[in-house]
Amino acid sequence: MASPTFISSVKEEARKNYIAIFEQDWPSWLSGILIAFLALLIFLWQSPWGIAAGYKNWGDWFFFAVGMKTTKPSLPWLHTMSVSNFGLFSGALASALMSRQFKLRPSPPLEYIKGVAGGIFMGAGAALAGGCNVGGFYTAIGVFSMGGYAMMIGLGAGAWLGLRYLLWEMAKFPPKMTTEERSSKRVPSRIDWAKIQPYLGGGILFMAVSIFYLYSFLDKTQMGGLLFFGLLIGFVMHRARFCFVRAFRCPFMTGDAEMVRVVALSLAIYGIGSAVIKWNFLQPDTMGVYHPFWIGSLSGGVIFGFGMLLAGGCASSTLWRIGEGHIKLMIVLVAFAITNSWLNDFLTTSGLEGKLGKGILVPAVFSWPLTMPLFLLVLLAWVLWAVWNEKTEKCVIF
Amino acid sequence: MDMNAIKPDQTLDARGLACPMPLLKTKKVLKDLKVGEILEILGTDPGSKNDIPHFAGKGGNEFLGMLDDAEGFTRYFIKKGA
Repeated sequence: MASPTFISSVKEEARKNYIAIFEQDWPSWLSGILIAFLALLIFLWQSPWGIAAGYKNWGDWFFFAVGMKTTKPSLPWLHTMSVSNFGLFSGALASALMSRQFKLRPSPPLEYIKGVAGGIFMGAGAALAGGCNVGGFYTAIGVFSMGGYAMMIGLGAGAWLGLRYLLWEMAKFPPKMTTEERSSKRVPSRIDWAKIQPYLGGGILFMAVSIFYLYSFLDKTQMGGLLFFGLLIGFVMHRARFCFVRAFRCPFMTGDAEMVRVVALSLAIYGIGSAVIKWNFLQPDTMGVYHPFWIGSLSGGVIFGFGMLLAGGCASSTLWRIGEGHIKLMIVLVAFAITNSWLNDFLTTSGLEGKLGKGILVPAVFSWPLTMPLFLLVLLAWVLWAVWNEKTEKCVIF
Repeated sequence: MDMNAIKPDQTLDARGLACPMPLLKTKKVLKDLKVGEILEILGTDPGSKNDIPHFAGKGGNEFLGMLDDAEGFTRYFIKKGA
């Protein structure tokens, strides 16, 4: 073997790093830390991170287009959460392409029906709770809104119910067994598509950054930033397959506590950062505290939790799984957006909104010094329960 | 181990299904297997590449390995343990 030249060793190093960063899955704890960090940047940059409001904006446009809504919704590229959603989707798509995992992924018909139902449940749940698993749970707890805890309990209960349903469905439609003989050859590296994918993915990253500069050039730097942070979140989420659903589902399904640990870790970092921001009044302490405690948050959580089990994704993982090409989740997104837009407007016009509860700032009840240990204790209790359950499988229902 | 030489006792077709269905069905089918029998799972969800080996390594079962098929799905092999 010839001794390595400068160029060949750089190439070798670049190749190794490419595989480690862009092809191999990242550990989920790393994504938990990164997501907390990025969510804090969004908080500082503009306002706390959410997803469902962006879906609502898209749903609003549907109703405006069919003439059922008379006021024009804000433009999707100038609506904060719609923009960060575009970013999240682009980041996931870029990551999927760069790891050569993108392809259109069809599902059996029953899955599509569950996609519609799951989307409707999640859209309705997010409308009631004033946010999805991100805005209503993750961000809500992080910005010390009481509703986040109610939704957390609701999500757990909903996930339990959803899993019950899936078990019933499996009894009704037994797993498909096959008897055909097979012998796999090593995958012949399919020339064109697999080779082009990483370039397309890199192109998308490049384009997104260019669009950020374009926003900035047009004096909309704030919007551009949201696109950029969303892009990074989507990229991280896909790289580590970060999934909130697992945190609520797995304790009942396999007993696995991994995602509970990761979400709790992420929340602890996010909450501490958010306390630095709020306690010190870098941002108003009531910012992002509007989740209807407790009727709205709790009932919304249950409905959302049930829906995410049917859909096989929450608000965030629906978006990054679409970036990977899952057709079922595209259906979920449409059903989510339309239901959420409709129910939100209905709750407002019917006046029911005021009956669901109101936003309560946790430190307003417990004071800041007491809020912090309580906040960490709740997370710790959640992790300890999950770890105990992993060992004993006491809460595993099948 | 040569995966192609494995003769599975049962084959679960989870192609086209996404998380959590492949794992859920694997767990169900595995329950009805006898100790020592081998289950093959066919799947297309990229998430399964972490989920199934991770799950299969627990509870006394043995994860034998996985194999990418030329037709674009992955085959997983689990040996039922006590």
